Amino acid sequence: MPRLKVAAILASVAGVAVSIYITLLHYVGFVPACPASGAINCEAVLSSPYAVIGGTAIPTSAAGIVWFAISAVLWIRPPGPLVLAWSFLGLLTVVYLLFIEIVLVGAICLWCTAAHAMVVVLVVLAMVARR
Amino acid sequence: MSARRPRPVRKPVAGTPAWVAPAAVVVGLAVLVAAFLVIRWYVTPLPPKAPSQDATTQLVATITSLAPSEFDAVGQGTANNLVKPISGGSVLKGPNGRPEVFYYGAEFCPYCAAQRWPLIIALSRFGTFSGLQTTTSSSSDVYPNTPTFTFRSATYLSQYVEFRAVETTDRDHNPLQSPSASEQQLVNSYDPGGTIPFIDIANRYAISGAMYTPDVVGGMSWQPVADALKQPDSPQARAIIGSANLLTAAICKANVDQPAGVCSSSTIQGLEKKLG
Repeated sequence: MPRLKVAAILASVAGVAVSIYITLLHYVGFVPACPASGAINCEAVLSSPYAVIGGTAIPTSAAGIVWFAISAVLWIRPPGPLVLAWSFLGLLTVVYLLFIEIVLVGAICLWCTAAHAMVVVLVVLAMVARR
Repeated sequence: MSARRPRPVRKPVAGTPAWVAPAAVVVGLAVLVAAFLVIRWYVTPLPPKAPSQDATTQLVATITSLAPSEFDAVGQGTANNLVKPISGGSVLKGPNGRPEVFYYGAEFCPYCAAQRWPLIIALSRFGTFSGLQTTTSSSSDVYPNTPTFTFRSATYLSQYVEFRAVETTDRDHNPLQSPSASEQQLVNSYDPGGTIPFIDIANRYAISGAMYTPDVVGGMSWQPVADALKQPDSPQARAIIGSANLLTAAICKANVDQPAGVCSSSTIQGLEKKLG
């Protein structure tokens, strides 16, 4: 299996793991392993009204689990335009979530940032694979 | 037979290096983050100007003398019921032997800033505060400059309950007050996650966190908040008075529904049933 593909699948699996952790924080009520004051504040982000998908009680991170899982499946198949399109959809979502974190909440969630970084890695890998 | 003319060979054109497009994505993202930070800086409210001592006294009088009909009109409002019952253990009592409400927070903390409003309103139904001062939460934390009061030099007198507050740091994170060993034990036992604000109501109920989000009062000064509390349908009244009603119900339950004038209202009785 090409190294690019392995890296992408590993990034997707890491994204699923981080998203599961954030989702568990929401449902089980764990305290996140993250600073709780100042600009880095997972609790402020994860307890904000934006931490759930609008009008539901479903945490945004649950959508992250689905996105990363589909990404992993797409990378198992031969890379095509769908991988790139899917990656850019994830990137747009990351931009929106960064806007919420920085502008609306005024805090950064480290765990969310880890998931965002995985999305960016997948976008970069998808772009490299298309060439 | 004529010789074949050689095909013209196209001069190879140097393509864009492979790293350019991914690097453009990363750089674009960094530019967006920088833009978001600038927007955040631009929209962050400045700390409201602190009122004079007389104005503060008037302000406290306003929020601690709300009509009973106001409390009944709001009910739980939009407050989150974070009141968790504590099972077992002895009743927490103050130096005078009455049930004690213990508050643990910090001046920088925006959630503490939010929670002090309803706590002051609720406790003022059982007694009288003096020495409350206005302050705001940290300018560099989430919900910056949330207007509030501080308990750092406040005293509270009541014939029903006692109140003890610990503000661990000022709004700039400088150390301020320390809990006693027994108070630290309460925090360790009933707030293991270390969430502030933490409120222990006579070891019968514990509340970790704020019962409404600080942005309800974000960007406001103290007087507009106090004015809004007199309008039962305002977002501030629904959040703050709703939270105060839940706290009042918990204090009533921990104090065998005394005084009856406060605890016997249908609103408080109804909320008591929700507390478990």
